[in-house]
Formats: sequence, structure tokens, C-alpha cells
Amino acid sequence: MQTAALLIDLARLWLWAGAVVSVPFLLWGVGRVEPNARGAWIFRPLLIPGVLLIWPLVLWRWLVLETGRDDWAKRHLPPRRAHGFAALLLAVLIPLTILAGLAIRQAPPSGAPVLLAAPE
Amino acid sequence: MSVSYIPVQWNGFKHRYNLALALAVGLYLWIFVELGPALLGHASPITPPIHNARAFGSCAFLMMSVILMIGPLARLDGRFLPLLYNRRHFGVMTALVALSHFLFVFNWYFVFTPLPSWEALLFSNTAYDRALGFPFEAFGMFALLALLILAATSHDFWLSFLTPRIWKSLHYLIYPAYAAVVAHVTLGAAQGVRGLAFPALVWALALLVAGLHLAAWRKERGAAAAMGEWVPVCRPEEIEEGRARVVRLAGGERAAVFRHEGRFSAISNACAHQNGPLGEGRVVDGCVTCPWHGFQYRVDDGCSPAPFTEKVPTYRLRLRAGLIEIDARANPPGTPVQPLEAPR
Amino acid sequence: MRARDEFFIGFFPIPPGLRPFLAAIAAALILLFAVAGWFAASTQAAPDEAGFRFDFGRQEVTGVLSLHPYPVIRVTEGSERLAAGRTVMLSGGGKFAPPQVAALDRRLVKAGGVILRRGDLDMLQIGGGERNLSAAEGDAPALSPPERLGRWRLEGEICDGKCAAGAMRPGRGLSHKACANLCITGGVPAVFVSAAPIEGATFLLMAGPEGGPLPPEALAFTAAYVSVEGEIERIGDLLVFRIDPATLRAL
Repeated sequence: MQTAALLIDLARLWLWAGAVVSVPFLLWGVGRVEPNARGAWIFRPLLIPGVLLIWPLVLWRWLVLETGRDDWAKRHLPPRRAHGFAALLLAVLIPLTILAGLAIRQAPPSGAPVLLAAPE
Repeated sequence: MSVSYIPVQWNGFKHRYNLALALAVGLYLWIFVELGPALLGHASPITPPIHNARAFGSCAFLMMSVILMIGPLARLDGRFLPLLYNRRHFGVMTALVALSHFLFVFNWYFVFTPLPSWEALLFSNTAYDRALGFPFEAFGMFALLALLILAATSHDFWLSFLTPRIWKSLHYLIYPAYAAVVAHVTLGAAQGVRGLAFPALVWALALLVAGLHLAAWRKERGAAAAMGEWVPVCRPEEIEEGRARVVRLAGGERAAVFRHEGRFSAISNACAHQNGPLGEGRVVDGCVTCPWHGFQYRVDDGCSPAPFTEKVPTYRLRLRAGLIEIDARANPPGTPVQPLEAPR
Repeated sequence: MRARDEFFIGFFPIPPGLRPFLAAIAAALILLFAVAGWFAASTQAAPDEAGFRFDFGRQEVTGVLSLHPYPVIRVTEGSERLAAGRTVMLSGGGKFAPPQVAALDRRLVKAGGVILRRGDLDMLQIGGGERNLSAAEGDAPALSPPERLGRWRLEGEICDGKCAAGAMRPGRGLSHKACANLCITGGVPAVFVSAAPIEGATFLLMAGPEGGPLPPEALAFTAAYVSVEGEIERIGDLLVFRIDPATLRAL
């Protein structure tokens, strides 16, 4: 139970940290790093759930863009190999999962009660 | 193709796409939730929250399966590309249906307990050491979290801010999430029922998804990347007017060599928006048009026409011994390059 | 413009060549979801007939309360549906034991509530407050001692007695395992649903080897079909199965 409580506290802390990050990011950061977002305000609340969930990534990208270290070439290098990896992952894991599911499936038992030792 | 971001960009096609989707999902849920009990005619009906949880859970699984089929289908047959166009709305809707499933389960099985509900969710079953009786909820929670992250980062802002490369890496979460959902159903609902009909439906869908991905992946695997500074592409007449030939360059880059009004230009094959395959697009009104979301770039400088601001890298071309050759060193995005004239 | 004949651009009208295909896809998608919804709904198995019997009305009985292994009342003065001589399992609201039960062990009490019934399994759900559970006047009468029925090996499923009796339908199976564990942890009587009747009973109240509540390691085996050995004894009309957790085995 302590582990469960700890995990839940960590999750809560994570979301609170995200909330703290989201304030300066949505008020100033978004406009500084993204030309298309300048003067655009109505869409910003839509970003809150994303910041809450992946705020470390947000901070890191914000830093990269602020310090001008963004590498334009990488924007045009999609992670193509991951397609093959994903295809293999699904092709291996799904049949394995199904086989495991079939192996553990239980039929309703039919065994009659067995008297092992009569009462003394 | 935003100039300035707004919450959701609508157009006629998206409205019709979402209408069809809402009809499909609404019909599924209505049949399961409203007609289901009458259809089944059980003397003691399934408790409504449990029935609802099953309806929304199975619906989310079907939605996830269909979404995951769109990508490989579009790679196998280009006519499916329009389904890809509005896939993010489909995804957000799926996350909401999955969230509803979670709420029905959470507010029924995990409330009115001596433990706080969230702790109960994580630790009422700790049989992590066995397959039969494994806390399959953990798989479901992982998948739901993944779906929520994907839905929350689906706005175009995130693509541009994170870069397509990181955004796509993050969104590859959908694959482990799908595998987790299959495990969630297999170790949970599929074990509870006596017949095999429901598990068979789930497993058939999952195998179809896996099979389509393998098929599309096999089709994608092709020639190895060419090395060297100047890389031969093909003879000029091999490229149709308004179309492109894609070349693989060292370092995993791909370039698309387009023919437009009889002259040749090369730009990156990866769209600035979501890294869609520009080389599979067409030249429309003098602009290379991405087959995924219709982002456009002028052939000779890789810039989107005003007022749009997206840019892709360009490449230099030359003609040697009747072959078009491409300079493997990309120019920074938006660099103008004089199109290559080729003899007729 | 030939290039646009088959080439889809989202913000332009759909190319005429693609329209029939996309219309067919949309129709197929809607049909697929409708048929899948019907099919998935039709595969949902019927839960056992069980549930709250509000139609019986509130039941009020007097009897001797016992908390070991779980709260039960041995009825001395019955109601319309719960006759004297019966031993009835008790639960509170939600996934709890009856409230304020701790001080009343082995005492004569008045208990009122609603019956949950599945076959020969009865569970009395008791609400909060004195009105529903309080000490009755007089001393607890002497009751017949437990009758020992020997050591048995049974096959069946470990459930919580409240959901199994119809508080949830279905109140069994692995989808319900976490909930069953929560109920049992919360003090709701654990019940063994035997595959075949023993001494006429399908539902046995469960206990640990020393007669206390189920040991925590047994929770790994709930909600699936298992075989387990243990001593059975009869208390009133209720069989109590004191399991030996070391013999628990998934089937």
C-alpha cells in the first residue's frame, strides 16, 4: 500500500510541476519559440493537458529553441526505422499474447468434492 | 497549414469525416448499450455500469484497431490517404471513449472501498507473478495514459515545437499501447467469458492490425542508401510531369526529385509539418503538395507560398552522362536553386 | 488539371475519381461499427440470477452475531424470509463489513437490512445506524456447536459473498477480481463457490486455517477456478470452509 501511495504522490507532484511550467510557457514561451503562435491566444488553453503530461520535454525543447541550438536538418529526418520495429513488435507480441491467453483459459471445473479425511 | 494557430482547423472534408465517425461510434455504443440488454434478454441483466464499461472498452479497442489500420493501408494503396488526413480527430475521439471506459470501471469497482480509490486501483490485486489473475488493469492504465498523451499533443503546435522527429517518436507510443490493450483484454475480459466469440473478435482484429503492418513494412523495405557527394537518380524521362522520384541518401535522408514544366528540382522528401512523404505528392499550381495534409512548397526554393511560412531543404541537381545526379549535401530550408533544364 | 483527378488535398473538394471509394469506405466503416456493436453485445454471457431483493422488503431478525471469520448472524428470531435457525452472512454498504459491528461479537443483536440472494446464498446488507444494528435485550442463548464434516478438496472459485450474491452482475470472473479483493479486504465475507454441491450447499463461507479471515496470500487466487483443501464444518445451516492456503492451485 505504501508503494501505491508513493506512486500516487509522485503522479500528483508530476502534474503540479506541469502546472507550474505551463504558466510561463503559455504566457510567454509559446510566442517566443513559435512564430505562428504570436498573437494567437485562443488555442493556448488546449496545450495545457500536453504540458501537464510531458513538461520535461517541453522545458528541454524550450531551452533548445531559446538558445538557438535547433538543428534544421533533424526536422527532416523522420524516425523511419521505427515503422519496422513497430511492425515486428506487434507481429511478435500479439500472437504471443493470444497464445498465452488461450493457454491460461479455464473451463468451468467439473471435479466433485473429495473427502480426504473423515471427521474425527 | 496555419498562419496563426487556432484551436481546431475545420474544413468540409473534416466535417464529413467526423460525421461518419460519430455515426459509426454512436451506432456501436447505442446498439451495445441500449439494444444490448433487450437483445440478450437476460433474466438478471448485467449491471449497467459493467455493461457500459464493456460497451465503451470494446468500442475503444475497435477504434484503436481501425486507426492503426489506416497507416499501413495508405502505404499499400494510396486511395486510403484521405483517411490519414483527419486521423488525429479519430485519435482524440478514441482517447475520450477509452477514458469513459476507465471512468465506468473506476467509479464502480474502485469506489466505496476501505482504501482510497487510486490506491485500490493500483494495489487491490498484486498477483504480478502469474498470468492467470494478473492485474490486467495495469496494461489498460498504461494504454490510457499513452492515448491521453497522444491526444493532448495532437495540435499542430506540438509538431512544430517538438519537431516532427520527436513528435513522431512520442506518438510511436501507440504501438506499445496497442499491444498493452491486447494484453489487457486477453488477460481480463477474454478470460471471464465462457464462449470464445468475443475473444475471437478481439484477437482477429489484433492479428489483422499486426498483419497489415508487416505487409506495409515489407513493401517499404527497398534499395539501400547511395553513398557519395553526387548521387545518380535516374534518366530525366523516367520522371513523369508533376511527379517525383525519391532518392535515399547517406545518413537516412531522402530527397524527392520533381519534374515541373519539363524542368527538374529537388527538395527534402520529408514535409516540414509531419514529415509526410513529399515525393509521393504532386505538383499542384506550381507547388509540391504533401499527400498527407496538403502542405505546399514551391519546387524551386522549398518555401510554402505566402502567407504560409513552412520551409523544407532543397538540393542541387546536375546532368551527367544522361543521368540526373543530386548533391547529397542539403541546402538549408528555403534556399532557392535554379531548376535543371534537361534536353528533350 | 490531370494531376488533381485522383490526388486528394484535404482543403480542396474531393477529386471525382475518389468520391465513390471514400463514400464506400464511410458506409463500410459505419456498417462495421454497427455490426461489431451488435456482435460484441450479443456475446455477453448471462450473469447468474442474483441480486438485491428489495421486493422482499426490509428484513429484521434477532440473533447471535459472530465476527469469525467474517460477520454472520445465527438467527434466533426470524423474519418472513430469514427463518430462525439460519446462519446469514452480513455486509455493510459498499465494499465494507457492517458498520459498528466490532463491539457486538458473540452478543444477541437486532439486525435489519435488505437481502441479496443467489440460489441458496443469502447475504444481508446492513445500513448504518442503531436502527439497523444494535444489541438486543438479553443474553446470547447457547447455540449448537459447529459440526465437523472432515477434510475436503473442492474445486471452484473464491468470490466475495456480496458481489457473488448479486450486488454486481456478474460478481465473479477475472474482470471482477480487483473488486472481489477489495470487498474481502474490506471485511465482506469471502465465499467459495463450489463446482459441485457438497452436503447440499454450493456456497461456503471461507476462513483461514485457524478460523480467522482469509490469509492475504489467498487473494492471488480469487476470481479464477482453483482447487483447494481444507476442513469443513457446519454452523447452523451454513458450511464454513477453513482452507489450507498451501494447497491452493489454479486449475
